[in-house]
Amino acid sequence: MRVSLITKFAVRTLRRKVRRTLLSVIGVGFGCAIAVFMIAFMRGSGEIRIRSIAESGFGHIRIAPAGWEESDEHELRLQNWSEDLEVVRSMKGIKVAAPHARSSALLAFGTRVTGTEMLGVDPSAEHEMNRLVRAVSEGRYLQPGDRDVTVIGSSIAKRLDVELDDDLLLTVAGEDGSVEYAMLRIVGIVNTGSREIDASICHVTLDDVEQLTGLDGPAEISITLHDYREIDRMVPRIQEAIPEGDVVLTWKEVVPSQGGDAASDRAFMNLMIGIVILVVVLGVTSAQLTAILERKREFAVLTALGMRSTQIMRLVFLEAAVVGVFGAAAGLLLVTPLVYHTATKGLDFAGMMGGEVAMSGVLFEPIIYSDMGFWMIPYALLLALASTVIAVLYPAWFAVKVNPTSALSLREA
Amino acid sequence: MENVLVDVRSVTKDFYTGKVVVHALRGLDLLVKSGDFLSIVGPSGSGKTTLLNLMGALDVATGGEVKVFGKELSKLSRRKRAELRLKLLGFVFQAYNLVPVLTARENVEFVLELQGIGSERRTRAEAILEELSLGELADRRPSEMSGGQQQRVAVARAVASRPRLVLADEPTANLDSKNAEALLQMMRDLRDEHSMTFVFSTHDPLVVSYASRVVTLRDGVVVSDESKN
Repeated sequence: MRVSLITKFAVRTLRRKVRRTLLSVIGVGFGCAIAVFMIAFMRGSGEIRIRSIAESGFGHIRIAPAGWEESDEHELRLQNWSEDLEVVRSMKGIKVAAPHARSSALLAFGTRVTGTEMLGVDPSAEHEMNRLVRAVSEGRYLQPGDRDVTVIGSSIAKRLDVELDDDLLLTVAGEDGSVEYAMLRIVGIVNTGSREIDASICHVTLDDVEQLTGLDGPAEISITLHDYREIDRMVPRIQEAIPEGDVVLTWKEVVPSQGGDAASDRAFMNLMIGIVILVVVLGVTSAQLTAILERKREFAVLTALGMRSTQIMRLVFLEAAVVGVFGAAAGLLLVTPLVYHTATKGLDFAGMMGGEVAMSGVLFEPIIYSDMGFWMIPYALLLALASTVIAVLYPAWFAVKVNPTSALSLREA
Repeated sequence: MENVLVDVRSVTKDFYTGKVVVHALRGLDLLVKSGDFLSIVGPSGSGKTTLLNLMGALDVATGGEVKVFGKELSKLSRRKRAELRLKLLGFVFQAYNLVPVLTARENVEFVLELQGIGSERRTRAEAILEELSLGELADRRPSEMSGGQQQRVAVARAVASRPRLVLADEPTANLDSKNAEALLQMMRDLRDEHSMTFVFSTHDPLVVSYASRVVTLRDGVVVSDESKN
């Protein structure tokens, strides 16, 4: 393949002022490295947020009764829960589908009382989905076939001053508004490290919830996927697959506060990336404009020879693109060790946050890992090329506008 | 009138320096005919370079008419003027102005590439360099050549696309007499062998001695126009 002379011209021009070209490449590289690291961190933290939400029992996706999103009523029940469950469990890409039923409850032991939200679960599915289950510090988690037993959080246990095998009096509102109660034996105590979470855990079996509330079946099916990036693709597929009557929601709709937080985090990070790119663009613009001013006579000659504006712009953009490609390579060289370190060792925010972090019932992992992958290469190239090409827009316009007579003067300057 | 390449009629050109107006050309008339080896002479400030700029479609006149190959330049767009320069005109500059990062052959090829000539441009560039006895310089960059060699390569670049008219501004100003003579001989051979027309602006008596026609400017007008046999 024959390389055009305009390309040779562009590449060789960059070798004329090696120091300036190197500084431009390093500048682009640094900016690119910072931006790629921020993106890697944002992607990693985004993934961890979604995983934390899913593994806190919310799932990536939820099948809920129609109208639940607006009313948030615990009494609503799925219309076709057994078909829904069967359908989703047979679908490809679904890791686990866990049915839940919730009810507000009062727990009492002796003279001590506390309010909580009772969660009815299918123990085997919950075990696969809910990472809180793995935080059982005393006793065990619920098992299939269990009846009249509960697993509670350590804060509830502390507040009620109870221990394993104690019997708690649980009171809930029945279907017709009557007060229903039951004695539940404590078989496990969960200690997640978060007081907020540990004060809200009261898990019982779905059968017990059905019996106490008189409402049949679960109120939701929380679903986790093998690949969280498939959420948007899976929602319509599940909606299409399940019988009419129930709705499919994403985690953003189930925990809107977390959706909002994720969006603001992303917006803030994008703003930071934008600022970094702007600084790079201004730096490259300045360097390129200086270079063009120094080559004013050269552009005047090219114009005199009949080089068209588009060809001059192509020359300037090619020079920028070469700086961009090398800048991207430099950026990747700089950022890869850093991303590798944070992707393997993570950044531990536990100390900064004073222990486990929980918000809106979600227990967050305190160590955030960056997302390292081949995606970094196209991102680095795109960022570097976009910033260098944007940076030379004005210098290119300036080069095109050089007056061949005033700049050239056809005489020795 | 078929052999008239450039027709300059009542041309004026004014430059503005702040509030001061400089009248570089004041109603100048000139015809350049095919085969001319024309020297434009005159003292500094007489309008030689300005006239060359106008004939080369690098600038537009304030008044009057400049027709090059029958085209009225003031009516052409910037793009059309660039096309005219690329396809029909050749330029030789006083300071050579070769592209410093390209070799002699690439400098010649570059103009051909701009014209959209594809695979044969290298062969054509080599042929013109050989024709002008510059073959041994083909792979040298301008920094590796003497002034005389650079100027000869600049001529090769100017004539690579076989333009009918070559405009040269003080082409011998930076050359010693030996190199200047070689350059002028080369250009005269090109005129004779390829029916090219050359127009020079110059102070150099040697250029004048080679010219077939000498036009003298003073204060922006032609004061004499002499043809030599």
